[in-house]
Amino acid sequence: MSKSLLIISRQAPWSGPGAKEALDIVLAGGAFDLPIGLLFLDDGIFQLLANQNAAAIEQKNLSANLQALTMFGVDDLYACNHSLSERGITPAGLAVADVQSLSTEEVRALIDRYDQVITL
Amino acid sequence: MSTLHVLSHSPFSDTRLGSCLRLLGSDDALLLSGDAVYAVLPQGSALTPLQEKTVFILEEDLLARNLDCPQWATCVDYPAFVELSIRYDKVNSWL
Amino acid sequence: MKFAIALYSAAHAPSSRRALRFAEAALASGHEIVRLFFYQDGVHSASSNIVTPQDEQDIAQQWATFVSQHQLDGVVCIAAALRRGVLNEDEAARYQRPGVNLKAPWELSGLGQLHDAIQTADRLICFGGP
Repeated sequence: MSKSLLIISRQAPWSGPGAKEALDIVLAGGAFDLPIGLLFLDDGIFQLLANQNAAAIEQKNLSANLQALTMFGVDDLYACNHSLSERGITPAGLAVADVQSLSTEEVRALIDRYDQVITL
Repeated sequence: MSTLHVLSHSPFSDTRLGSCLRLLGSDDALLLSGDAVYAVLPQGSALTPLQEKTVFILEEDLLARNLDCPQWATCVDYPAFVELSIRYDKVNSWL
Repeated sequence: MKFAIALYSAAHAPSSRRALRFAEAALASGHEIVRLFFYQDGVHSASSNIVTPQDEQDIAQQWATFVSQHQLDGVVCIAAALRRGVLNEDEAARYQRPGVNLKAPWELSGLGQLHDAIQTADRLICFGGP
């Protein structure tokens, strides 16, 4: 059986290539049909906000990559509730559908459940 | 499954230690390396929440900064770091 | 025990040296390293064009020597490397760039190699940041 991998993405979308490169690991894992999960934590939450205008700073929109996740078979998408509320964001304000928001206890259990973890 | 969480950022300029402590499971441990070892400064504000956790510290980083290993923590060298990464089911480095 | 080691920082970052010392200790303890995978700024740790002052540690050189000596599988992520100007001969020719700064023992390949290493290894250890 394949080992499961959880990517914890904690970088804001426009602070450099970090957020995109974390997503690329997830997409590559999905392409190989591996059991892979993606948790948005801390500033990683900002990747999920609606109506961002990447073009204003001459960047490529991340939302296409985010929408591609389910197409690549990556359905296990999570957001940390604590990180959301710290930033005054409600789960309803997220642009990406199918992201489950998790309590601190649930995030702890999530990390526990996966075989390997990469926090970027 | 137990996790060894590895930190290398200073707790005074970064939120990683705070997030890590919040998500730390009862079987988990911390390994402080690089600037993360400043967390053990005796009069520092990062110290208190660490004292009740299982904490390992990379010895070379303490020596480099002229810091002492607190009694409640365990100093490790690289061979011991390797052993820890095996003793815990997985390693989560907060990059 | 089989280790996969991933590095996300450049050779001048303390974490690159830490990863190298960890890797050396793992082999010295009789463990196996199934692959080294350099991603994000980690691609700079494989650069052959780094010049360090004589009285300082040349970590990029030490990495290359370590990989050669132990005949390890040293993989540098191609997408991350191109973005950061770390090119082998083929890529420099393909994109008509004047400099080559990635040579044997390093190989350029894709993220599939990271996933493959994770599947093969008992432990994945990542190093990065400061």
